[in-house]
Amino acid sequence: MDAYICGIGWVTGAGFGWGSQGGEWTMPDLPLPPLTRKDVFPEPNQRFGRMSEYTKLGLAAVTFALRDAGLEKWADKRPIGVVASTRLGCLATDLEYHTTVLLDGGGLASPNLFAYTLANCFLGDAAIQFGLTGSSFAINETGGDNLDAIRMALEDLEQGEADTMLAGICDLAVPEAFADSVSLTPGAVFLVLAATAPAASNNYGIVSLVGDGTLLHNGSATNSLFELVQRAMTGIIR
Amino acid sequence: MREVCISAAHTVTGLGPDLDSLWRGVMAGESAIRPLTRFATDRYLTGNASWIEGLESKSSQSRLYPLLEQLFDGFVPVPAGTTLITASTKGCIDGMERLQMGLPGDPAEVPMAPLLQHIAGRLGMTASGININAACASSTIAVARAASLIAAGRSESVVVVCMDLVSEFVFSGFSALQALSRTACRPFDRNRDGLILGEGGAALLLMSREQAIREGWPVLGVVSGWGSANDATHITAPARDGCGLIQSVRQALKRAAIAPAEIAAISAHGTATVYNDLMELIAFRTLFGERSIPMHSIKGAIGHTLGAAGGIEVALGLKCLEAGQLPPTVGLLEPEEAGEGFLSCSAEPIDGRYLLSTNSGFGGVNAALILRREEG
Repeated sequence: MDAYICGIGWVTGAGFGWGSQGGEWTMPDLPLPPLTRKDVFPEPNQRFGRMSEYTKLGLAAVTFALRDAGLEKWADKRPIGVVASTRLGCLATDLEYHTTVLLDGGGLASPNLFAYTLANCFLGDAAIQFGLTGSSFAINETGGDNLDAIRMALEDLEQGEADTMLAGICDLAVPEAFADSVSLTPGAVFLVLAATAPAASNNYGIVSLVGDGTLLHNGSATNSLFELVQRAMTGIIR
Repeated sequence: MREVCISAAHTVTGLGPDLDSLWRGVMAGESAIRPLTRFATDRYLTGNASWIEGLESKSSQSRLYPLLEQLFDGFVPVPAGTTLITASTKGCIDGMERLQMGLPGDPAEVPMAPLLQHIAGRLGMTASGININAACASSTIAVARAASLIAAGRSESVVVVCMDLVSEFVFSGFSALQALSRTACRPFDRNRDGLILGEGGAALLLMSREQAIREGWPVLGVVSGWGSANDATHITAPARDGCGLIQSVRQALKRAAIAPAEIAAISAHGTATVYNDLMELIAFRTLFGERSIPMHSIKGAIGHTLGAAGGIEVALGLKCLEAGQLPPTVGLLEPEEAGEGFLSCSAEPIDGRYLLSTNSGFGGVNAALILRREEG
């Protein structure tokens, strides 16, 4: 299965942005930049301030990717699916919520925080914000290449489940209590993948899934999501 | 596209340690919902849940591990080369609770990856696979992914392991959202007032028809269709018009290449919250018109098992198709007016080959599966 990469958006320790802004793309193991509503949406957004940090992170990267692909604006809902890979999901929100459970025997548990204690929660916000009605779910993968979400999105495109998919990764920094147990580079990166060649938006090359699960970018094997994004950013055709 | 068969199905629920005990229990109208002693519930809307005996341990290990042991003790040996897909919303959440309360625990137990590796090792699999988190539709989507992999020829066989616990973490949250019933779990009842939580697990072995024949596996049923869609309307509430569920079912019907008239029974999500159940009835009426189709929900018998729900319901759906009977909806006393023609307080015969199983969840997620009875 081949798909066209037509949008890339990210929030990493080096900053946030999208592919057509150009420049070198990196994902250093540094603290993530704080995200305000104005960083993500030019117009007022009543929901953003109430979201968990995990949701803000994922939603921002999805927003930038769709903006890059020229798909941010919409009138009718669209059958675009999303697959998000995460190591720790909303663990930071879980810890924050659970402190409210411990306060008064559960009597003060926060319903607003609880609504954000699922790894797929930011996909719901993205669906609402951008009218995305395709299949959306989060995955936890055990491999180290961070490419399973891309593979699954390509499978969906191959099966005709959707014509356009978003796929990527989303993780906040590891909470201190878990620092000795988990190692990851915090950040969120999403790619917009289309089954057909994009007409007006960017073209970052073709990503292909071959039988043994290997991912190719413009015909060359790619070993990680970071490598894929770097290659795509290098070879951008506008 | 290759045909996708289910060759083994096993469950652990509040009604017992296997699928037969679940089947007998629901057919007899029993419920495993009872007072919960795992944590204090006096500040919550209810003190009841459906929980599994024998998960308590003096060690600091998550209760999910003994649950999985119960599940795998009754499961078949997994064929070599099988792919693993798990479905869980919160995994070893009780491990995080212990750490937060200053009790002994292992932080490494909390992320999903070690749990996946444990399951793969326990089943003798070489690759650790992935976990799917799509709220209460997690295992429905996991089964759909498994079917898709096999149909496309990317895997010969996939084992789907679905699991979630009753934890204070989740219990308190649903209570805070005013989603728990103060009385009893009454799916599709006009007096329903909320859900009751449950815990459970399911293990399903899916494989191509070719592998089942080649290796002599039984065929309990066929996964004919699948679909998934997002409402794109609200984070925690369902779309009132059922748009995402309708889209999911239409995808599943298209994949199965059957008309709505061929659906002979429905295993609904049926959480017993006011809005979920009404949304489902609106969606099914839109899809099936005024035709009467037997429909039930399992939640009154074993509670809402979250990420395990869809897997357990698939396993039970296979039993339903085999027996030609749809169990009663435990807890249903006065059917919702909008459910006329769908709902019954007693078991009903299934007149046909296809059963539709659906689930919906937070984040606007909906998913549908169509199971087909194996002939002969």
